[in-house]
Amino acid sequence: MSALPGLWGLRGLRGLRGPPPALRLPLLLLCLLASERRSWADGNTTASPLTSLPIPEVMMTKYSNLFLESHNISLTEHSSVPVEKNITLERPSAIELTCQFTTPGDVNSINVTWKKGDEQLKNYHVNATGGILYTQYKFPIINSEQLGSYSCFFEEEKERRGTFNFGVPEVQGKNKPLITYVGDSVVLVCKCQHCAPLNWTWYSGNRSVQVPLDVHMNDKYVINGTNANETRLKIMQLSEDDKGSYWCHAMFQLGESQESVELVVISYLVPLKPFLGIVVEVILLVAIILFCEMHTQKKKMHTDDGKEFEQVEQLKSDDSNGIENNAPRHRKNEAMSQ
Amino acid sequence: MRPTHCPGPEPSSKPRPTLLAPPTPARGRGGGVPLPHWPAVDRHDGRDWQSALVFGVLRSFGVFFVELVAAFEEQAARVSWVASIGIAVQQFGSPVGSALSTKYGPRPVVMAGGILAASGMLLASLATSLTHLYLSIGLLSGSGWALTFTPTLACLSRYFSRRRSLATGLALTGVGLSSFAFAPLFQWLVSCYAWRGALLLVSALSLHLVACGALLRPLSLREDPIVGGPAAQLTSLLHHGPFLRYTAAITLINTGYFIPYVHLLAHLQDLDWDPLSAAFLLSVVAVSDLVGRVVSGWLGDAVPGPVARLLMLWTALTGVSLALFPVARAPTALMTLAVAYGFTSGALTPVAFSVLPELVGTGRIYCALGLVQMVESIGGLLGAPLSGYLRDVTGDYTVSFMVAGAFLLVGSGILITLPHFCSPASASKPWDLVTEAVDTAVSRTRDGLGED
Repeated sequence: MSALPGLWGLRGLRGLRGPPPALRLPLLLLCLLASERRSWADGNTTASPLTSLPIPEVMMTKYSNLFLESHNISLTEHSSVPVEKNITLERPSAIELTCQFTTPGDVNSINVTWKKGDEQLKNYHVNATGGILYTQYKFPIINSEQLGSYSCFFEEEKERRGTFNFGVPEVQGKNKPLITYVGDSVVLVCKCQHCAPLNWTWYSGNRSVQVPLDVHMNDKYVINGTNANETRLKIMQLSEDDKGSYWCHAMFQLGESQESVELVVISYLVPLKPFLGIVVEVILLVAIILFCEMHTQKKKMHTDDGKEFEQVEQLKSDDSNGIENNAPRHRKNEAMSQ
Repeated sequence: MRPTHCPGPEPSSKPRPTLLAPPTPARGRGGGVPLPHWPAVDRHDGRDWQSALVFGVLRSFGVFFVELVAAFEEQAARVSWVASIGIAVQQFGSPVGSALSTKYGPRPVVMAGGILAASGMLLASLATSLTHLYLSIGLLSGSGWALTFTPTLACLSRYFSRRRSLATGLALTGVGLSSFAFAPLFQWLVSCYAWRGALLLVSALSLHLVACGALLRPLSLREDPIVGGPAAQLTSLLHHGPFLRYTAAITLINTGYFIPYVHLLAHLQDLDWDPLSAAFLLSVVAVSDLVGRVVSGWLGDAVPGPVARLLMLWTALTGVSLALFPVARAPTALMTLAVAYGFTSGALTPVAFSVLPELVGTGRIYCALGLVQMVESIGGLLGAPLSGYLRDVTGDYTVSFMVAGAFLLVGSGILITLPHFCSPASASKPWDLVTEAVDTAVSRTRDGLGED
């Protein structure tokens, strides 16, 4: 661990000033020795990412086996609100944080500090070029305690702050509850957008009390996922006891993240009640329509005579068809007269 | 009890007019038309609801589609067959519906159709495999829809003569309106009760077809005893020259008509339109379609002379606007063409139905409409795959749109051969054509029976 700042320090020096040519070779040898020592000690935790994850295009030196993450924040004298940047980390990485502060005033009078949470940090570099003040802090993140908020502070009359928030990637479940019926089966899916967790586990219960699922019951639970970034839990033979929240945990090297999917199991009787209500309503409607029609017809039969009724009906249907009354009747008379 | 976390109404998901639009020109319902006799008004309202219930349900099926793919873990193509079978059964079963209506009147047939459709959906809610859905929604509900739709639309022509086109136009607006209403409703039902409960409640909704059928009071017209039973009508229709020409024209029109429904969105994507603007364009087409139906319905009654002329006009204009689609590249030009296409294609549907009673008479309308629907659906089924094939072969939609336009223009050309097309407008009224048909039938029966 103690050798690491030295290693990064060399890079930092190269970035900012660069060592004088005479010193470069001995410094390089020193760093190679330092890195060898480091990889002995921490080999187990840091070697594994390389075997399972793709090699990034940026690699500092042949002996560094941590991925590099660089982030920067720009502040000006007008930044009254602290500027924050959220960064997700899946695997142990070497972090390089840069804050730059632009001010028209005197850059040398500004006090620069770095803090992790409330804890003061050391080993950061400060550089002033032109009217801009740069400060850089390099450190590794290899376990979950090292995640958190790292802030750079520029103290003028007012304090300006830039914060880098490190965390593990978030997992997406489903916002809406899944509704299923007794006896059906359902698939619960948890996805991670751009990450590949080491493994996934499923629990049931609520946020504080979680019970792992008995995955050996193969006729009840089946867990599979087509890609590394998603997991599917299939629950079969649903019953009302299966309802509740299901939690999927995604395990990363730097910690874990979880999300919940809610399952609701209802019986067939739940929609059956409104169904029966509507059926009764339709039967009533049909009855009313037919009754009204019979009623109107009966009324007509009582007001007119039988034959007259037929003629009226005939006339009515003539009108509503708009067929010319003259021609057909003429023909009918013709036919009758034959 | 209803789940307590049942969410409120979801934002409306646009019903997909693509795969699920029925191959025949869409029908619908509108408001009641004020007429002197209250029974006629009731019947119109009843018919309005019926078309909405049949085709609104079909068009909004997209909501269930997504759920079924997840629930049965099947491929999208296999789930699409559920709707396709339903539509195909409805189309090809139309003659059966018409024949039964001729014999027994529309009321019992439509009520039976409503019960069949509802029971199909009821069984579908209990399904445990995709085959169950093919049989319940596809076969059972499909036959229910076959018994409901054609008799209703034919009935419309029997009840209305002076304002036939307007009545048809208003009735046909119902599908578009119901699609807008049913898709959000179904989405809400699915989010509250999942697909099983939602299908159960849609079955209850479909049961209202029975109530609508009850509104169809039986009507006996003068020519009914003359034209005879369904078998006699069918044979007389198959020998009726103008009817056969009309059917050929309608089939060609149908082949081209649905291509934009299916392929306009894809064509817009080829032109690099973003999905939101493309969806907006489709909405514009839908709205101008609705307006076109009503305007054309009114126009069909207001303008003297055979309605076939108007049909030819609208069909030719639709064909032209379709053929111009590939030429237009600028957004304003495409928008204008979209409005034109929507308006003209909506305009041709009510007049297409109004021409038929003028040709064959209201006595034979049930059987005629059934036959026309069955034959035209072949065109509709072939149109979209043909267009897709042309697109695969040529690389874009230029040829397929032009072919669609060509089909429409050829169809409109055949319409010119219909009787009385070129007679002076004032001389012939539509009802003369009907009486002429009756006369022909009367003289034929007389010849058959022999003079006494």
